[in-house]
Amino acid sequence: MSDTDDGIDLTGPPQEMYKFLRDHMPVMAVEHEMMTGTSVTLHADVTTVLQNADIFSSLGAAEIGQVRPLIPLEIDPPEHSKYRKLLDPLCAPRRVALLESSTRALVNDLIDAVIDDGACNFHTSVAEPLPSQVFLTMFGLPVERTPEFIELKDGIIRPPVENFDEATEFRNMTGQKIYAVLQEAIEEKKANPTDDFISQFLDAEVDGHRLSENDVLDIGYLFFLAGLDTVTASLDCMLAYLAQNPTEQKRLVDSPDDIPAAMEELLRWESPVAGVIRVATQDTELSGCPIQAGDKVSVNLGSANTDERFWTDADKVDFDREINKHIAFGGGVHRCLGSHLARMELRVGLEEWHKRVPSYELKPGITPEYTMGLRSVDNLELVWRT
Amino acid sequence: MTQSMRVQLDRERCQGHGRCYVLAPAVFESDDDGYGLVVSADVPPELHEAARKGAGNCPEDAITIIES
Repeated sequence: MSDTDDGIDLTGPPQEMYKFLRDHMPVMAVEHEMMTGTSVTLHADVTTVLQNADIFSSLGAAEIGQVRPLIPLEIDPPEHSKYRKLLDPLCAPRRVALLESSTRALVNDLIDAVIDDGACNFHTSVAEPLPSQVFLTMFGLPVERTPEFIELKDGIIRPPVENFDEATEFRNMTGQKIYAVLQEAIEEKKANPTDDFISQFLDAEVDGHRLSENDVLDIGYLFFLAGLDTVTASLDCMLAYLAQNPTEQKRLVDSPDDIPAAMEELLRWESPVAGVIRVATQDTELSGCPIQAGDKVSVNLGSANTDERFWTDADKVDFDREINKHIAFGGGVHRCLGSHLARMELRVGLEEWHKRVPSYELKPGITPEYTMGLRSVDNLELVWRT
Repeated sequence: MTQSMRVQLDRERCQGHGRCYVLAPAVFESDDDGYGLVVSADVPPELHEAARKGAGNCPEDAITIIES
């Protein structure tokens, strides 16, 4: 358990805390291991930040061990659109659809390995290996090294240290190892190109220029971190919710056609990627509070997605919600590039799991503990009848 | 009397979330990059509800429905 000085448990569901922040300190100064700056929690402010990339830049937003700006996340318009033009088709629904049957087979393999046990840690048995294997195959890194890559990813996202300075140092050290992994893969793909992303990046042009090797590293670094964590956290959040809500769980078993809408509602409610960071390029204000040029602004997507000022029945998880324009994948020009891949993996994961395991619950005595920021649940112990 | 409906998708605002063409595939479609396109600007009455659903679920408010 990780508690604040005030005794607030930060490992539990965050929605009540979001509401408290919206009601009492919607624009708030924050200082923690990821950043020092201002946090915003109202849907209106979050949208303002996401929609105004000229005032709220993403350059320098995330200090995650990189030595150059990540592409395309830390590139502002108009440069940004050149890279998106190259990367969007690789991650578009038509391309993602080609991976659906192999993803379905993979989910079933993972379920086969645990189904007769009547119990598993869902996080380590399914939620981690599923997106990792899909991503590494697509990207062009060796699947058999998955545990090593997950450790590197965790070294950036959840460095095993106590304070900000140590975290920065650990991230920078881990970052160098990630660059080395990518560099090694680049050398290999230069010699033996295939149809994976790294090979395609090496062959790609932006505005008539080949991508440089640094460009490929800077795209690869971002993909590596994004591809290895976010879908894991999303699956954890969704299964933790469903394990504790048998009526909704049964509905997905009985009516698999409802899974896409349920998935969208759980993306809204859980917002597994709780927030993103931007940097003000000029003096401005949010909800009347001054923001100075250079200030970091932490945008709370989870709070925006549960803000009763914007949503009808904001705190009700409703799989029949007609209008659900959540921003769990962010919004504006930096909308998550991997959202179509993520949605396919989540949908297929939910479909196959509920086909094979029609009734499951948390192991008695387990309380899901959510990590901060990227909300994975490492102790997601589930049990079911065999 | 059946109202007529036109649908417009602002390609500048669209960020490729893909909600419209997933929820209302008869009204919207995806381009090769995953951004939205309108299948036919004039929406027949049987697709009015689908069009409203696709437009209403756009996180960027990039779709306008004009009913007359």
